Amino acid sequence: MQLVIGIGNRIRQDDGIGPLLVESLERSEGVEAIAVHQLTPELAERLGRAGRVLFVDASIEEGSVSLDRVDPAEPRGLGHSLSPSGLLFLTEKLYGGAPEGWALSIPGTSFGLGEELSDQAQSRLPEARALIGAWLKEGEGSDG
Amino acid sequence: MEREILIEPVTRIEGHAKITVILDRDGNVSDARFHVTELRGFEKFCEGRTLWEMPSLTARICGICPVSHILASAKAGDAILAVAIPEAAELLRRLMNLGQLVQSHALSFFYLSAPDLLLGWDADPEGRNVLGLAGKEPELVRAGIRLRAFGQGVIDRLGGKRIHPAWAVPGGVNRPLSKDDRAWMLENIPEAKGTILKTLDLFKSAFDATARSALGEIPTMYMGLVGESGEWEHYSGYLRIVGPEGEIVVDRYDPAGYREVIAEASEEWTYLKFPFYRPLGYPDGVYRVGPLGRVNACDRFGTPLADAELEEFRGKTDRRSGRTIDYHYARLIEILAAIERMERLLSDERILSPHVRAEAGVNRTEGVGVHEAPRGTLFHRYVVDENGLIEEAEFIVSTGHNNLAMNATVREIARSYISEGKVTEGILNRIEGGIRAYDPCLSCSVHAIGQMPLRVDIVGPDGELVRRIVRDSQ
Repeated sequence: MQLVIGIGNRIRQDDGIGPLLVESLERSEGVEAIAVHQLTPELAERLGRAGRVLFVDASIEEGSVSLDRVDPAEPRGLGHSLSPSGLLFLTEKLYGGAPEGWALSIPGTSFGLGEELSDQAQSRLPEARALIGAWLKEGEGSDG
Repeated sequence: MEREILIEPVTRIEGHAKITVILDRDGNVSDARFHVTELRGFEKFCEGRTLWEMPSLTARICGICPVSHILASAKAGDAILAVAIPEAAELLRRLMNLGQLVQSHALSFFYLSAPDLLLGWDADPEGRNVLGLAGKEPELVRAGIRLRAFGQGVIDRLGGKRIHPAWAVPGGVNRPLSKDDRAWMLENIPEAKGTILKTLDLFKSAFDATARSALGEIPTMYMGLVGESGEWEHYSGYLRIVGPEGEIVVDRYDPAGYREVIAEASEEWTYLKFPFYRPLGYPDGVYRVGPLGRVNACDRFGTPLADAELEEFRGKTDRRSGRTIDYHYARLIEILAAIERMERLLSDERILSPHVRAEAGVNRTEGVGVHEAPRGTLFHRYVVDENGLIEEAEFIVSTGHNNLAMNATVREIARSYISEGKVTEGILNRIEGGIRAYDPCLSCSVHAIGQMPLRVDIVGPDGELVRRIVRDSQ
């Protein structure tokens, strides 16, 4: 199973780009897609059942859309939410293994109150959608 | 010379806070304060909004407790519409409140507090978290994760989403329960019950009476809602306050009249107000709410497994436990009671009725909504104009009720562990643990937002900073 997790808040402008992308994904067999405000420990159970996971999140860094590997890593200290690498680490600890992790980062510029994406974030949607599509295609048949 | 120790911010609680320990001229503790350092002013900016918006609006006070605010707000709305909501709507609201209690208590215990309790107060702070616990007790953490997911699943299936479901409304709820969703909930109850029973056994074997004194003991009054025959209640019923020996102080009191019983004081050093029992005045009118408050206030749970646990918890005495660590014990018993109550509700065919909302206009200009949120009794009071626009809003939230007690707990722990100005990491952990036992939600109480690192300052009698210890949360 391939898992796509959109992270962010739909009423904080560009922060909502992850959930927006995930919610507009076409449903297909072998793919689970969820939108969350933040990564919480209970997601580990879903990751434990997945062969691959893609975290889709807005980034405050300037630059272009990027797709990168994420490996499990023990976080230093812990708040309520986890980073993608921290969640993979927890999954590994609890379920004896973690899925192949990837992160799609989409630079945002406006994170104020509102449901509208900035023009810059809006312009990055097609590329982000294409990368998600290619990522899913590459992992077709992945089990976990 | 008097000096001050400040712990800021306190980690693994919801919101921002810091702790100050004030030392006298000999370096011993003269006072301790739990400060809440953010203010958002929700009561003020609700003014002018419509009554029907209030459940969704007040849900945004907190990402942890939205369900609690939605339900209290909808109940205040019911009172203003002057309607009796349909039977199924009440059953469903009860079910959602129990789901909220399970998920919130499971978050508090398994994610936030179990690392202290099971890895030890003096374990390395870097690894004293749910990840560290996952390495030592993976089965427990897996079970805790599934238990919380069950509570969230109940909320999700009732409200359509788990964080801010726009579901409870003045007059009822906006959609009925489907047979499939009821079946899912019933199927998951045996596992949830098994998890909490095992966890209770683990807690009891790890914490005998001596170990349960680790965070001190303060005799206070305890407040919670109870039903007609004094049983544990979470959605309606009467306000009851008992004293440290179990003596009844207030009973069968209509919670809508809470202002006669509870008043609020303010201090310049914190944004969190200090509710107190009005007849005893401030600061003597200390009472506690939440798991320990409710468990101490009720006569029984009214469900077999939870009643057996209550009997064991209380022992052969009427005296109420004042041990701060017993908040955790009470929290676990409440999860069990909630699961038993959910099972009972879901077995009632009336819960599937499609009639879940009563329609009405504004029939009164003031309404109070009260129920038990996971952290304690939650009050919403609205005054509206004839069009239902809010003229005045007041929220007395669970964490606020415990403010006086949290300060007393910090003071007691500080006095036990700090002398002549000497402070160690272990001591700070216990002070933090004392606060964490209450599972304070500062997002709710002052409507603060943000993450929670840790800072400790030591300040002298004239306000000078003597020492500061900082720990980041992430």
